[in-house]
Amino acid sequence: MNLDSDGVSILDVPAIEAHNLTKVYRDNIRAVDGISFSVKQGEIFGLLGPNGAGKTTTIKMIITLTKATSGTLHAFGIDVFKSPETARGMLGYVPQSISVDTDLTAYENLLIFSKLSYVSKKERNTRINDALEYMDLSSRANDLVKRYSGGMMRRLEIAQALVNRPKILLLDEPSIGLDPSSKKQVWENIKQLNHEFGVTILITTHDMSEADELCDRIAIMSEGKIAVLGTPVDLKRNVGGDIVTVNLFSTSPAISLPKEIGHIIHNNEKSIQILTTNGEEAIPLIADFFRSHEIRIESISINKANLDDVFMKYAKRRLGDEMYKATRNMRRDFVRHAR
Amino acid sequence: MNIKKFLISSITIAEMEARKLRHDPTELWTRIIQPALWLLVFGETFNTIKAMPTGNFSYIQFITPGILAQSVLFISIFYGITVVWEKDVGILTKLLSTPSPRSSIVLGKSLAASLRGIFQAMMIFALALLLGVKIRLDLLDIVGVFAVVVLFAMCFSSFSMFLASYMKTRDRMMGIGQALTMPLFFASNAIYPISVMPVWLQYVSIVNPLSYVVDAIRSMLLTGSYGNLLIDILALLFSTIVFVTLASTTIKKLLE
Ligand SMILES: Nc1ncnc2c1ncn2[C@@H]1O[C@H](COP(=O)(O)OP(=O)(O)O)[C@@H](O)[C@H]1O
Ligand SMILES: [Mg+2]
Repeated sequence: MNLDSDGVSILDVPAIEAHNLTKVYRDNIRAVDGISFSVKQGEIFGLLGPNGAGKTTTIKMIITLTKATSGTLHAFGIDVFKSPETARGMLGYVPQSISVDTDLTAYENLLIFSKLSYVSKKERNTRINDALEYMDLSSRANDLVKRYSGGMMRRLEIAQALVNRPKILLLDEPSIGLDPSSKKQVWENIKQLNHEFGVTILITTHDMSEADELCDRIAIMSEGKIAVLGTPVDLKRNVGGDIVTVNLFSTSPAISLPKEIGHIIHNNEKSIQILTTNGEEAIPLIADFFRSHEIRIESISINKANLDDVFMKYAKRRLGDEMYKATRNMRRDFVRHAR
Repeated sequence: MNIKKFLISSITIAEMEARKLRHDPTELWTRIIQPALWLLVFGETFNTIKAMPTGNFSYIQFITPGILAQSVLFISIFYGITVVWEKDVGILTKLLSTPSPRSSIVLGKSLAASLRGIFQAMMIFALALLLGVKIRLDLLDIVGVFAVVVLFAMCFSSFSMFLASYMKTRDRMMGIGQALTMPLFFASNAIYPISVMPVWLQYVSIVNPLSYVVDAIRSMLLTGSYGNLLIDILALLFSTIVFVTLASTTIKKLLE
């Protein structure tokens, strides 16, 4: 037993502890290359990285669907490789691609799954109905899953993982291919599960906004390795700050900004870009500053530092080209030069 | 491994398939078309020309057990494809993320195959009665026929899953299934007595498991002479146990 900072006694065993985990596929493909990390009980931990980074392979090793080439893995202190069936009993798994059986009803999918998880007959019905209720599927429980929308199937996947009452939920890209509103709903469900029931969650994603929204801590993966690990706030702090762009009505005179507001990193006649540590707090100060110098502002916009910048910095690559924005490049140039 | 849990998992996997068939039984009904054609067209035609030395029995009587065995063979030999397909779409992977032992897949699927076999047998019985084919309707014999059908379906579906563990793709399994079924069928006593075969084929038919199955069913449905029955059934039981065990240990290769 250990004492945490609040003086509450807790069992100090990590939910997941991976040490030098490695997976080499045929033809010497090092999908996962000696990664070590530990997921604390009750947190939402994210593996963020582009396609091919090794996220799915990592999850598959944890759920014992694929054998690790080397390394060790413990879940709540249990050696996952030595006692795979016990480990699977504590884990819920939502794979990357839809894999519920579309020729069965939602209820039947959960029924089969609860039987395979040896949920006692007495408890089966309650658990199934709870899971359906929880994922908002009760009204369609007896419909064949092939008539479901993508978002509903995703929620059913999660419901299925819940009948096992897992201590750890493994979610492999849970919002991939969902429209924005279904995505929001799935996010809400994930947060609720974590908050209400204290389920530890390991989630993989290539979507930085998803990682930012959900995760307590993030490991950024690139080419089978963990490039950097930390809380989203810390990671973003490491790459500088937010950029505030001020557009003026007329060409600006030469100005110098007080240091506590920020640095001007680009002055393009009618548009000035300012690097700040916190964009929202800087905007009123910037507005006051320009007003006091009698310079009229047309508009102000803000470009928050994001995990793509973090990814770029540590993995020397971009997460996705569509996220490419010229202003971010500028910030990075500035941050690099400023060092 | 815990035997009780193993059995629960296997039965659940069979239950899953039974539920799917209940939602959409089309497949069950379409599978009856082929044996119906064999009996109606082939059986009736050869019945009238009396070209086969089928002893005391009419030709259509003679082939009814053969067609039953053949149709169960067709169901079972392609079971590996189902398993490969379920793996490809992730259903199987999902099942294997539960605490259930992986090996329970094989017994579960082979039970599901025998379920289809039972339905097929009932349909062929019905068809035979409809066509006025005289078969012995003794209760024990009928139970015996169903037992043979169940074992046979389990045996060959496991054999198919055993092959699938190494073949891993649907295309290859389809090829193998087709390469196996016709030779097994024609080199057996299903649609003609062994005595009319060329000598080399007679040797093949002696090692052909289908011949033993047909022989067992025929003795119960037609002749009522049980001379070889015990050996037939023991051989079948033995091969079933061997293949279920073998495939249960190899199936994890498919899932990797
Ligand atoms: N079954 C497999 N056989 C061979 N290579 C694989 C297999 N699965 C994944 N890989 C390779 O391993 C690497 C990591 O893949 P994956 O774990 O799926 O990444 P991610 O989930 O981050 O997109 C990729 O290069 C991929 O091509
Ligand atoms: Mg993936």
